[in-house]
Order: sequence, then structure tokens, then C-alpha cells
Amino acid sequence: MNQQDSPVDIQRRLPFLAAFIILFTLILFIRLWYLQAVKGEYYHDQAESNRIRPVKIRPPRGIIYDRSGRPIVENVLTFDVSLVPEDAQDLDAIIGKLSTIVKLPPESIRTALDDAAAVRTKYEPLKIREEAPWDEVAFVEAHQEDLAGAIIEPEHRRHYPYAGLASHQLGYIGKVSPSQRKQEQTDIGLLTGQGGLEKVYDKYLRGIAGRRMIQVNAAGRKVKDLGIEEPRPGTDLYLTIDLDVQKAAEEALGERQGAVVAMDPNSGEIIALASHPNYDPNLFPRGISPKDWVRLTNDPTHPLYNRAIQSVYPPGSTFKIIVALAGLESGVIKLDDKVTCRGYIQSGKHSFRCWKKGGHGTISFHQAVVESCDVYFYTMGERIGWDRIAQYAKKLGYGSLTGIPLPDEKPGLIPTTEWKKEKMKDAWYAGDTYINSIGQGFVLVSPIQACQMISAVANGGYFYRPTLLKKTRNRETGAVQVFAPERVNRIVLDSSALEEVRKALAGVVSEPGGTGHAAQIPFVTVAGKTGTAQVIAQKVPGRKLSGSTQDHAWFIAYAPVDDPKIAVAVLVEHGGHGGGAAAPVARRVIEEYMKNAGSKTVR
Amino acid sequence: MLDRRRFANLPWGMIGLVCVIALIGLSAVYSATYTVKGPSPLYYKQLLWVSIGVIIMFLALIPDYHTVGRYAYLLYAASLFLLILVMVIGRAGMGAQRWLAIGPFAFQPSELAKLSLTLALARYFAEDPKRGGYCLRDLAIPGIMVLIPLVFVLKQPDLGTALMLILTSALIVMIAGLRIRSAFIMILSGAIIISAVFLVSPVRNRIWGSLKPYQQNRIRAFIDPGSDPLGSGYHANQSKIAVGSGQITGKGFRKGTQSQMAFLPERHTDFIFAVIAEERGFIGTGIMILLYLILLLIGVDAAKNAKDRLGVLMASGIVSMISLYVFINVGMAVGIVPVVGVPLPLVSYGGTSIITTFIALGLLLNIQTRRFMLFY
Repeated sequence: MNQQDSPVDIQRRLPFLAAFIILFTLILFIRLWYLQAVKGEYYHDQAESNRIRPVKIRPPRGIIYDRSGRPIVENVLTFDVSLVPEDAQDLDAIIGKLSTIVKLPPESIRTALDDAAAVRTKYEPLKIREEAPWDEVAFVEAHQEDLAGAIIEPEHRRHYPYAGLASHQLGYIGKVSPSQRKQEQTDIGLLTGQGGLEKVYDKYLRGIAGRRMIQVNAAGRKVKDLGIEEPRPGTDLYLTIDLDVQKAAEEALGERQGAVVAMDPNSGEIIALASHPNYDPNLFPRGISPKDWVRLTNDPTHPLYNRAIQSVYPPGSTFKIIVALAGLESGVIKLDDKVTCRGYIQSGKHSFRCWKKGGHGTISFHQAVVESCDVYFYTMGERIGWDRIAQYAKKLGYGSLTGIPLPDEKPGLIPTTEWKKEKMKDAWYAGDTYINSIGQGFVLVSPIQACQMISAVANGGYFYRPTLLKKTRNRETGAVQVFAPERVNRIVLDSSALEEVRKALAGVVSEPGGTGHAAQIPFVTVAGKTGTAQVIAQKVPGRKLSGSTQDHAWFIAYAPVDDPKIAVAVLVEHGGHGGGAAAPVARRVIEEYMKNAGSKTVR
Repeated sequence: MLDRRRFANLPWGMIGLVCVIALIGLSAVYSATYTVKGPSPLYYKQLLWVSIGVIIMFLALIPDYHTVGRYAYLLYAASLFLLILVMVIGRAGMGAQRWLAIGPFAFQPSELAKLSLTLALARYFAEDPKRGGYCLRDLAIPGIMVLIPLVFVLKQPDLGTALMLILTSALIVMIAGLRIRSAFIMILSGAIIISAVFLVSPVRNRIWGSLKPYQQNRIRAFIDPGSDPLGSGYHANQSKIAVGSGQITGKGFRKGTQSQMAFLPERHTDFIFAVIAEERGFIGTGIMILLYLILLLIGVDAAKNAKDRLGVLMASGIVSMISLYVFINVGMAVGIVPVVGVPLPLVSYGGTSIITTFIALGLLLNIQTRRFMLFY
């Protein structure tokens, strides 16, 4: 063996190779111990969830019934064509095929996929075509083999059979916004209440999603069904609304803008609540088209606005009820005190007119309410003092929320001398007292507040939170939850003063010279008060008012006079006189309700 | 020829070890490829390859390993030719062009290139000994020998094999012996090149841009496996789940949910170790790497007892190559090495890999059985 061929120097380094091998074996050994022994449990769970995929089953939403059990919001079974991109073998091919089936451009399907990418979880179906016609559904079902990834999803579609009727309290449902989705962890196609009762009572209506557990392989293909967890349908709602009265109210309003609130004065249950113009909630569950949305939001008449609770108006002469109560209770107004009305009153350089040119002559309390004499109430308002009137107004709920369970109620405004000083940097003048005493100037009231106020007058001073929900009923168990009226307040009113005011209000409708004649009903006595709220500050003599400068017409009433069963507030925007425009609406509502009073109870 | 004396001196322990590993591998392939209709044809193919492999291992005992050394350059040239051929007429798969179709079989020249390069380098260093170690100038020719197949393999592209070529060659050079200064310069320049690749953005972008999307994703997934567990990190994640969920005792033969329900990709080839880990648990994996450890240490022993430079270099080169395969493959399955796609010797499905491994082991046996012989 020659020196050159001696392997000794190389062999010296072989222990390093052995060390290298031992070291790496050790590393692998430790790593395997860590994965299999230390974290074994964790990976075991991972492996388990890996092969079981839950598929959500959406629950049908709760049905909404009126007080006598007639459905006002229901579900209709429809079928959607959806795409599960993860299940598609060739996504482009499947998009191409689907686009010809549902007659949509492939780009729009791809755009929808891209848009959903950020919020969609893996294997969550994306709706391509909602409410697909039968031939499309049948085609997709029949060609499942070629259309891996495309599925038909049965869906309980929300349907509002009366379209715009009661739309403002019913609300609508729509797709969950990404922020809501993040908050509530809902799935992408879920439609939740986005307005009105659909939103407020969403927790009842929504139900609980079911799950189908399927075992899948890595390609996402179903290997077998492991079981099903049935969805729990949403709870049904029975509202306090009477469908017939609601219809009557909306028909009576007709094309005019305005609001009607009818309430049971003994419980606060809303019998009807209408706001015109209304909108068709059926536009929303399908995903409202941008065109429709723009049309609704840009409409100068604001159809999405719930005028009954979100709009505040000067109460006009209906405010005289407050002044009357404040005056009688404080003893400032004596029933026999007479005031002479010449058609106007002078205060310094200004003169304030009565609505009746030429005046009412010498007039006392009862007649002044019946004929709605402005001069009488200017005079009495000044004698009582504005802050005392404001105190009564607030006691009767003005300036604060009624607490009706609908979104975005507005409190309106009852000004005080203090308020004016602070906000307007100006003193409270006698003229301010005059005009606010007849419900003009700064006072602002919503129709729901007016209805709650007249209810308290009718029932002797009890304040109920207006409610829309009578009871809920679980469709599966039949369990019923009844919601009792919620009395929030009782105001102590002097009974003789209240009696006088009620008598006068009855006179408004029944006596000759009363402004509320138009509310007379043959078979039931009605008490009420008209109001005409000026839209522009002072009328220019001789100028004809029309359109949007015309006055708002008010009528607030209850019936029957002796045993009140219903209280109503009507406001017709730009309707003109309260007696002419609003009182007939109230009459229709009361008539419809009293016709069947007592015979309709919640099933 | 294989005379009686050599036959009696055959290291039957090592041969038995090889066969045990191969049988474990066969059972894993059987399980990983099992179909609803029964054992997959892939299993029978693998059975055939292993049988042929065992025969070839014994055939590799017959010639003197010096004869093999004499043909090493020729073999190297042949594998270069095949690498060029695969680029021209090769069959593509998984975004890479790696296979040559020979009748019904697909042959992977890059597997052969690994073995032939190892043998060629062993011969080169055996014939050109340098007192006190090699300096950088001496490494010019071996460098070119590595570089040529490397370029072809990268062109396919086959990152895993390229990595194996570099690492195996580096180990052989280290064993052949470097001057301290040269070793230092080599390590330093290697470090500079690597940091240039990672830190200098024009260089990095150039290299990054030249990678295929699936390669970019794999690297991205290795750096942050959680980033997209259903996308690029899928392989690594599913493999870790499979390994971990085997726990201590395993889920049982053909009871691994990860592998049986096809969550685990490449389960009969690159991720076969995860199948074993899922079904046999830590007991199985522990035994498995112990078997490899013993086999490799016996290989080191063979190198130590070899009587000349060629024997030492050939044996240690083969041991280096196989150990790197094992470490990178298992490291990949347990998530400590990026997913580069190298087979597990004797176990992963694939004819070329099985055959070349058996040839390599046969040569190792050859060297060991000739340790008592005198040639001069």
C-alpha cells in the first residue's frame, strides 16, 4: 500500500460524519416527540375537525301576525342557484356553464366571488341566482355530475303580502353588512332585520341555524352524511296591530303625506301605525337594486322615514288641551271667566290673530275649546305663564321619547324661557307665550307623542309605553310568551279639571260650532281636538296657500267618550285645516275599530 | 466474483436492516395507496421495484468497486446525457419536467444524477490526494462537475434534487478534506451568497422571480405556515397534523384519517413518513429513525474500515447522500425543513429512487466485504 493511497487522513474525519448523523437523528427524535407526544392531543383534534365539515341549514324566519292571527309577514319557499368554489374542479368552466344557465355574464359571477372573498369562509356557498325559475333549478339538479360546485339552496324567502302596508313598523330584512358580520359571526347569505320590528325583534325572528355534518375528503367531496342538526325556526310574533284598522288608516291617508297612530289607551297597544308615503319591503330581501335604493333615498317625500315617530311638527291647536289642563288645575282658568275675541289681540306693536276673522265674541272655557278660539288661549296662556304650561306639556310626555320599540324615535321640543335664553340668546316675550300657547312657534311634537298624550287624557292620567308586540309563539314547542302592558307613569290630574277638558273635547266633535264635526260617527261618541299647524310663520292676508306651504292638519281623538277604547292621532302634511283634512281620517280609523270592538281578540 | 469466503462474510445484519426498512415502506405504500377496490396497482409496482432492488443490491456486490470507480465518469456522463434528454422529450408533472418515459415506466434521471455525481466525486478525490487538504484552486474541477447537473436540475425545475446535489457534494468535499483557510473562505463565501440572496433585494427579486409560483408558495409557506393553511402551507400543515395526530401508539394500519381520506398530499411519495407516523405513532417513528440511524452508522463503519481512498470516499459519499435524504424528507414531514420534495430512501414510492438507493447500498456492502482484501 503506497503512501499516496493511504486513507488514514480521510478516516480521521469520519467521526464527524457519524456525529452529524447522530445529531440530526436526535433533532428528529425530539421533534417527533414534541409533535406526537406533547402536542398529540392538539393535532388529534385538528385531524378530527379536518374531516368533518359542517354545512349550515338556515332556519325559516318567524312569521309576523296581526292581533287576530292574520299573517302580515310570511315566508315563501324559493330556490337559489349557488356556487361552492372549493367544490369546483375547474372554476372557470363552472362559471362559464352557470352563466349560460342563469343568463348572467360570467364577469358578474366572478365579481361576486371576488367581492365575497374577504368575508366568505371556505365552503360557504355563494348565491349566484336567487329565486331561480323552475327550469334553471331543474337543469342544475339534473346535471349535478357536470356541475360539481353548483348547488341548489332552498330558501325561505321573506314575503310581505300587503307590500307597503305598515311598512314602517314592520321594517325589512337585508344582507348583513361586513361590520355586523364581524360582530355577530353570522354567515354570509344570512338576512337579518335591518329596520322596524324586523330589526328590533330580530333575536326572536331569526331562529337558530341547523347543521348537517358531512365527512369529506381533502378535495371537499362528500364521503358520507354523519347526521343532521335540524334548524330551529324563528319565533312567531303576534302584533298588537289590527290589520283592518291599519288598512283603513292607510286608505284614509291615501296619497297624502302624513301619519296615523291608533292606540289602546288602556294598555298602550298600538292598533295601527301608518306613515305615508310608504315603501315596499319586498324590495329588500332580494338585495335592493342600486336604482331602487337611490330612488327611495333621494325621494323628496322621504318614504323610508317613519313620520309617526321620526317627524316632529308644531302641534297647532291640539296643544290647547295642555294649556286647558294647566289653566284649570292651577286655578288660573275659571270655567266662567269670559274673554272677548275680536279676531286679534294686541301686544305692543304686534297683533296676533284668531283663526276666525271677526272673532268669536265673548267666549268662556268650554266654547273656546270647542271652537278653538286662539284669542282665548293667548289670553289664558299669558295668565298661566309659559313655564307652567311647559311643565304640564313635559308631564304629559312632550319633549321626551315615548319608548315605542321602533328605531330612531325623535323627542320633539318643549321650549322654556331658560331654553330660549340659552339657545337663541334672547328673552322670552309675551308674543312667544301667545304663539306657543296655540301650538306654534317652537313647540314640536310627534304623532306618537300626541297619541300617548290624548290616551292619558282619556284614561285619567296613565302613561303606557306604546307596544307593538302582543305575544310570541314558538313554532316547535307552542310555548307562548305574552307581553303585558307596561305602565311607565301615572300623572295626577285634578279629576274635575280633566272632566271639563273631556267634555269640551266631546263638544269639539258633537256640538254645533265645534271644529271636529267631520269625526262624528253615528254609533259611537268621539272626543277630539283639531289642530292646524302653520308651515310659514304668519299668513299674508289674501294670499292663497297651496302645496308645501299649506298648513299641516292635526286631529287627535279618543272614543267612545265614556269608556275610551281607542285613541288616535292623525297628521296630514300640508293638508290644510285639521277639521277638514285630519278628522275624517280619524273617523275612518275609529269607525273600523269600534265596528268590531270586543269581537277581535288575539287567538 | 462472489466467492464463498465473501458470501460467508456478508454483513447479513445490514442486509436484514435494509430489508426491514423496505418492508415497512411497502406496508406504508400499501396503506397510502389503498383504494375502495383493494390494493392499488401502485403497490404492486412498488413491490416489483423493491424486489428488483434487492436483486440489484446483490448484483452490485459482484464487481470490484474499483471497477465501478473506473466507470464512474462514464456513468456521470450518461446521467448528464439523460438530464439533457429529459429537458427535450421529458414528461411534465406538477409544473416540472422530470420524467423520461421508457415503455410503461417513468424514469427520473435526476435521481441517477445524484448517485453518479457522488461516485464521480469520490473517484476524483481518490485519484488526486493532496497533503494537508485541498485548497480552493483544487476544487475548480469538482465544482464544475457539480455545477453542470445542478444547472440542468434547476432548469427542470427540481429544487429538492438541486439542494441534495449541493449538500451531498459539500459533505464529500468536507470528508475529502479542505485546508482550514479554504474551508473558512468557502463557508464565508457561502454565507455571503446566501445573505446576498436574502438581503439584497435586486438579487432576491431576480431569483424570486425566476421561481415557479408553486415554489414561491412553498417557501412563503415555510416562513409562515399559518398564513394560508388551505393554500401554500397546506402540505406542511396537513403533514404536521398527520404526524401529531398519530400520538404515541398511532391510529392503526389503514386507520389514519389524514392519509385514508386524502387530506395528506403526496402521501405515497414525499410524505410517506407522515403516513407511518399517523398509523404507527411515536413508537413507529422512533423505531423507524433508529433503524435508519443504525444503517447509517454501519455505513460510516464500512467507510472507516475501507482499505483505500476510493473505498472511504465512495462509502462516506453514499452514507452522506442517504442520510441527507432521510433528514430532509423526515424534516419536511415534521415541518422543520421547507417542502422541497425529496423521497425517503427505501420507503417512498418511485422506481428510480428505489433502484438507485439499492444500488448505492449494494456498493456500500461491496466496499464492506472487501475490507480484508489486498489489492496490491
